[in-house]
Amino acid sequence: MSNSSYVNSLTYNYLTSDAPPTREERIGVCHAFCGSCGELKDGLKSGCAQLQNRRFSQSGGCQLTLAVGIVSSLTNVVMIIHSPLGCCSNFVGSGGLRKTMRASKGKVDEDFIWLHTNLNELDVVQGGIDKLRKTILYAEKEYHPEAIIIANGCVPGIIGDDIDSLVTELSDRISAKIVPVHCEGFKSKYVASGYDSAYHGILRHLINPAQKYEKVIPIIDRDLKEEYRISRTVNIFNVGSNSNGDEVELSRLVSALGLIPRVLPLHSSLGDLERIGEAALNVSICATHDDYLLGHLKERFGTDYLIDTLPIGIKNTNQWIRRIAAYFHLEEEAEKLIKFENQQLIASLKPLKEALKGKSVFVGGGETRIITTAEFFYYLGMELVGVKAHNVDRFVEDILDDINEPGLVIEVAAGMPAEELNLLKRLQPDLYIGHLNANGWVSKLGIPNFPLFGQTLNYMGYSGAFELARKAVKILKNTNFFKNVSSNISLPLSKDWYERDPKENIKEAANY
Amino acid sequence: MAEFIERAKFSCALGGALTTIAGIPRVVPIVHASGGCAAALSGTYNLASGYRGTGYCGGTMIPTTNISENHIVFGGEERLEEQIENSLEILDGDLFIVVTGCQVEIIGDDAVNVARRFRDRNVIGANTPGFLGNTFQGYDAVLNAIISEVIEASEEKEEKVVNILGVVPGHDVFYRGNLDEIVLLLSKIGVKANTFFGTGESIASIRQYGKAVLNLLFSGQAGVAPAKLFQELHNIPFISVDVPVGPTGTEEFLYRVGKELKIDKASIDKVIREERKEYYSFFERIVDIYSDMDFQRYALIAADSYYAFSLTRFLANDLGWIPHLTAINDIDDVNDREEYLSKFNSLTSETKPTVIFEEHAGAILNELRKTWPNNNNQKYYDAFNAAFVVGSGIERSLAEKLGAGFLSVAFPVSNRVVLNKGYTGFRGGLTLVEDLISQLVAAR
Repeated sequence: MSNSSYVNSLTYNYLTSDAPPTREERIGVCHAFCGSCGELKDGLKSGCAQLQNRRFSQSGGCQLTLAVGIVSSLTNVVMIIHSPLGCCSNFVGSGGLRKTMRASKGKVDEDFIWLHTNLNELDVVQGGIDKLRKTILYAEKEYHPEAIIIANGCVPGIIGDDIDSLVTELSDRISAKIVPVHCEGFKSKYVASGYDSAYHGILRHLINPAQKYEKVIPIIDRDLKEEYRISRTVNIFNVGSNSNGDEVELSRLVSALGLIPRVLPLHSSLGDLERIGEAALNVSICATHDDYLLGHLKERFGTDYLIDTLPIGIKNTNQWIRRIAAYFHLEEEAEKLIKFENQQLIASLKPLKEALKGKSVFVGGGETRIITTAEFFYYLGMELVGVKAHNVDRFVEDILDDINEPGLVIEVAAGMPAEELNLLKRLQPDLYIGHLNANGWVSKLGIPNFPLFGQTLNYMGYSGAFELARKAVKILKNTNFFKNVSSNISLPLSKDWYERDPKENIKEAANY
Repeated sequence: MAEFIERAKFSCALGGALTTIAGIPRVVPIVHASGGCAAALSGTYNLASGYRGTGYCGGTMIPTTNISENHIVFGGEERLEEQIENSLEILDGDLFIVVTGCQVEIIGDDAVNVARRFRDRNVIGANTPGFLGNTFQGYDAVLNAIISEVIEASEEKEEKVVNILGVVPGHDVFYRGNLDEIVLLLSKIGVKANTFFGTGESIASIRQYGKAVLNLLFSGQAGVAPAKLFQELHNIPFISVDVPVGPTGTEEFLYRVGKELKIDKASIDKVIREERKEYYSFFERIVDIYSDMDFQRYALIAADSYYAFSLTRFLANDLGWIPHLTAINDIDDVNDREEYLSKFNSLTSETKPTVIFEEHAGAILNELRKTWPNNNNQKYYDAFNAAFVVGSGIERSLAEKLGAGFLSVAFPVSNRVVLNKGYTGFRGGLTLVEDLISQLVAAR
C-alpha cells in the first residue's frame, strides 16, 4: 500500500524475543547531519549520513519517555517504572494532564497512578527483581487495574534483571495483565525505538482477540452486519502529539467517504485493543510512530495498512484521503469530497495568505510532520528557509525526493539547540515552528514561534490547516514578547560559536 | 531502606544535581550519561516547579556525552573528555560541573577524575548517578563539590555573615522568593545571608562563602552533608532551623539566629514589633469575610519535612485552622522521625494533628480514614468538613475526593505559575493567607 519499497523490505515477526530490535538495527537512521537537502539525499543513498555523530552533543530524548507516553495512556492501567527515581519523574509535572486529555476525548476521567521501584546502590549489586515483585503485588492489591505495565530504565538493563521471568511467575497469581516494556535509554540513539518497545509489549501481552464459539444457530442478519461493519472499518492510529481536534477532523473525513473510523491505540481500553484486528484497513498518520505495530498487525491478522503521508495542509490531506479511498475503490467519492472541502478552505485562507505573504519560516521537529508543515506554509506563500528533523530514515525518502530545492538548509538532530540557534541566527526567519523544548530557546533568540503540536491545537486535516494558518497570523500580530525576552535574557552560547559553521560539529562515527 | 514509592515526589540524584546547578546563574552542567537523562530531568523541574523553566543552560541545551551501548562495553571516558573540551568552546559559563548518570557509574568511568584534568578551566565534577538516591543526594553532591573546589578557604571570618543550606532550588518551588525574604529579614537584625541561589548570587560571590561565621540549615534531609563539610573544610559551624512561615515561625527564627550570633535581644524585639504590626495591618483586611463566612477549616497537610511542620504551625498557631493530619513523605530514619515529631509539641491549637510518615501518595486517604470516624450513613454524621488540603500538586485529586479546598505548596506544583512569590517571613505568611483564602472565594 505504499509507493516505497521499504514496506516490503521490513518484517515484523519479533514477538519471540523479550524486546524488539532497535531502529538502528531494524531500519537504519540518520540522526546527525547539517547541510543542504541535496547533500542529505546523497548521504542517505550512500549510507554516509547514517554513519555520523557529533563532537559536541546536547541532551535529546530518551526512548523510555516515548514508550511510556503510549502505554501510560491506556485506560485503567497502573504504570511501574523499574529504575531509580529520576526516570519518568516528569510525571509529577505532566501526570495531571491525563485527566484533561481523557476528558477532551470523552473518556472516563481517572487518576494516573504510577509507582517507582526506586532502585538504589544496593539494588545495583543485588538486582531489583524482589523490589519489582513487591511493587507489582502492591499495584494489584491497592488498585486492581486491568493491566500493570512495567517500563524499565537503564539500570535493570545493564545489571540484567530478568523481568520477563518475573512476569511469567506472577501472571497466574494476579488478575491484572502484566506488560513488560523494555526501553532502556542507552540502547538506542533513536528515540523512536521507544514506540517499537511500547508496541512490542502491547502486541505480546494485550492483543489477544476474544475467543468466539461457533454458534449452533447462526443469526445470519447480525453476522452479515458485523462482517459488513468490519469490511468498512478504518483504524486511525493516533499519536501522542495529536489533539482530540485532529481525531475528530480525521474521523469526519473518513466518515464522509462512507467508511467507519475508529481511533486507537492511545487512550484505548484493553477491550478496544482486543478488537484491533476487526478492521479492513489500518491507517497511520505518522510512519515514524507506528510502522512496527501496523506491519505486525498485517502479518498477524492480514489487515492491510497505509503508511503514507501526514494529513497536514491541503495537499497532504488530499493525498491521505485519496490513498484511503483508493483502497476501498471510492475514488470518485474522494474527488467529490476533496473538491468540496478544498473550495471552502481555499476561500477561507485567502485573507490569512495575504498576511503571511513573503514572510519566511523555519520548521523543526519530527521528520514527516515538519516536511508536511513546511509544504503547507510554502503553499501559503511563505518562504521556507530551513527545516530541522529529529532524524531521517527511509520513511521520508519519497517526501525528500519531492523537495525540489537542493539548497534548502536541513539539520538532523534530536535536540541540539546550539546548532539550530546558530542556523536560525544566520537565517533570521520571521516565524519558527518547533517541537516542545525547542521553542523557549528560539524565543530567547527573539524569533516569533509557536509549537508544532499541542493538546488543544487542531493541526491535521482541513480544519487543522485553517487553524495552523490562523495561528501563524495571530503570532505575528504582536511580537513584543520575543523582542523583550531576547533583549533581556541571554543564551549560553559563546560568540565564537555563532561565527562557526555548525557543520564542523558533525563527525564520522565509529559505528551505527 | 529504600522501598518502592507510589507517585514519588522526587527525581533522582542526577535530577537533584541539575536543578541545583540551574539555581546558580551562569553555571553549566556537563552530563556524562545517556542522551535523554539531562533534558528529561531538567524538564521535571521546568514543569513541576511552578513552571520554573529550564534556566540558563538547562533542558535540551545541557551538554551531554550521549552514552550508548558501545560505550557501556568499552567505557566512555574518552567521549567525556571530547565533550568537555567542546563544551568549553561552545558554551559560555562561569563554572562547569560534570555530573554523572547511572550508566557510566555502573561501568566504572571515573568522571570526576576526567573533570580534574580541566580544573584550571573552571571545571569540577561530582558523582550523581540516579541510584544514589533522591533529589537531595544530588543537591548534597553538587554543594559538596562547590564547598571543596570553589569556595576559598578563609581564616578571617566576617562577623554576622551566615550561609544558608538545605533550600533546594526547584524542589522548593518558591526558593527564590523564600530566600530573598530571608535575606531581607536577617538584614533587619544586622545579619548578611549568603544563599547560593537567591537574587544577586553568582560564582564570584559564592567563592567568598568561607568567610561566614555560621551556617543555617533549613532541612534535616538536604544539606546535612554539605553543612558538615563546611565545618570540616572552612571551620564554619551550623545550626538547624525551620523554614519561617508567618509570625510565629519568623519570630522563633529571628530569636534563634540572634542568640547564636549574640545579637542584642531588644533590637530583635523591635524588629519583630514593627513586622508584626505591619502583618496585622494587612491581615485585618480578611477578618470580615473570614468571620462572616466562617473560613476556619480542618487542615490536611501533605508535604516534605522542609515544609510540613512550618505549614502546620502557620495554619494552627497563626491562622487558627484545625490541624488534623500532617503527612510527611521524606523521612526514613527512625531517629530523624522522632526528632521531627517533637517539633509538633510547640503547636498552640487546642487540637493537635496526627502526624504520619508516608511515602506513598495514594495512602494518605487511607490514613485519613483511620483518623476520622466512618460515615455509616447514619442520620447525624460529624463529617470531615469544611476541610482544606495544603500539599503538592499530587494531592489535588485527594482534595477533590474529600470535597476540600486545595493549595499546592510542596513539590510538585504544576497547577500554578510561580515567579517571585515566597512564603517565608511575615510577608510570606500574608502571601499564604492570600492564596488560601483566594481559593475559598474563587467562585464568587
